[in-house]
Amino acid sequence: MTKRYVGSLLIGIVVGLAVGVYLGWEQFPVEYTNSSLAALAPRYQQEYTVMVAEGYQVDRDVNAALTRLQALGKENTFDYVQALTEQYISQSNVPAIPVMVALAEVMGRLTPVMEIYRLTPVPSPTALQAQ
Amino acid sequence: MDDTQFRPATGSGGIAWFAVLLGIALGIAAALIYTWEIDPVIERNTAPWQLGPQAREEYVVAVALSYAHNGNLQLAFDRLRALRPNQNVWAMVAEVACERHRTVQVQTNSDVIVMRALEQLYRPQGASGCADGQYPTPAPVNLIPSTPTPLPTATLTPPATKTATPPLPTPAALATTGPTRTPQPEGSRIAGRPEPFCDSERSGMIEVQVSSLAGLGIPGVPVQVTWGGDQRSTFYTGLKPGRDPGFADFQMEAGRTYTVTVPDLVSPPAPVEAVPCDEVIVGGETVPVLTSYRIRFQEQAN
Repeated sequence: MTKRYVGSLLIGIVVGLAVGVYLGWEQFPVEYTNSSLAALAPRYQQEYTVMVAEGYQVDRDVNAALTRLQALGKENTFDYVQALTEQYISQSNVPAIPVMVALAEVMGRLTPVMEIYRLTPVPSPTALQAQ
Repeated sequence: MDDTQFRPATGSGGIAWFAVLLGIALGIAAALIYTWEIDPVIERNTAPWQLGPQAREEYVVAVALSYAHNGNLQLAFDRLRALRPNQNVWAMVAEVACERHRTVQVQTNSDVIVMRALEQLYRPQGASGCADGQYPTPAPVNLIPSTPTPLPTATLTPPATKTATPPLPTPAALATTGPTRTPQPEGSRIAGRPEPFCDSERSGMIEVQVSSLAGLGIPGVPVQVTWGGDQRSTFYTGLKPGRDPGFADFQMEAGRTYTVTVPDLVSPPAPVEAVPCDEVIVGGETVPVLTSYRIRFQEQAN
């Protein structure tokens, strides 16, 4: 009799665990509502980066732009800006290219592929060559 | 009837259903503890509406700056709506501006520009907040020698003659300089356009000159400077040895916007902004030189 109950209990626990894992990870996963910009989906991060690049066109403050981008938690913000700019160029994302190129340039990351998209040909700064 | 054929309600076919249900309940409880607390889903692919307060503010600032650049209101609206605010999106922007103003997050040129961008975004849409009008756009900087103004200046004052001609300009002359001007109370003053200049020795100075109708400096005039919405300082003309009696000056801080007024001012005071105009190297470090301004306050005749 006891053996029957224990066996039934174990079967129930196994079934319950399976159901619980499905519910907890798939159906009703933890929903974060206090996230940082670093947790944004890549497409939102990229959109945010373009907005910051447009902001740089407004205030011309590269340090402010860097501070805003650091919230994305990238290991190397300069590398990230360069990579995203080149990605936009390869994708012909026309609206974003000029402002991203300008931001990459002021960060000292103007690559040959970006040259033709420069907004104004100015001498590249030397103060911000590397992060 | 054989008793061994009777099956109790709690079990059949060798399974105790009560135990199974109890096991399922325990299993689900244990699994949820594990999946929600111990090993939750890794946070990724977050949408803007899931951002915390600080990140939401940074996101709104980025939207405002983007709008200041591209002027695409629909795009700005869509981006702000992605935050799923529990209020009007423009009211949310006004709230962010107010919060930044209230917590004194406005310290640099970029901060001032951010405040203007936020206001430029929410005010035309009918929203308002405590930061309204706190960061007005300064008058355009004009480095060209100023054009003739309707102000009588010292150089225009007729020299004294033996016939003791009154120094006041004739009504006809005044009429030609300001055809739409309404009569002002006696002793009223008008402010000239701030004249910017760049001098590393006098970086970020507001130089005030208060003159009488005859162009003579007036000492002891209180000059009030306001900035940051609620901060102000009052100083007086005539306290600088070796300078004109009507002279006074004030040191600005980088990135701030200031408004200068004197008593009986009948024209709107033009704001000035401490923006960099040059750089100098001091002790091996590059230090920005801030734009300075000369502002003339002139008495005018009725």
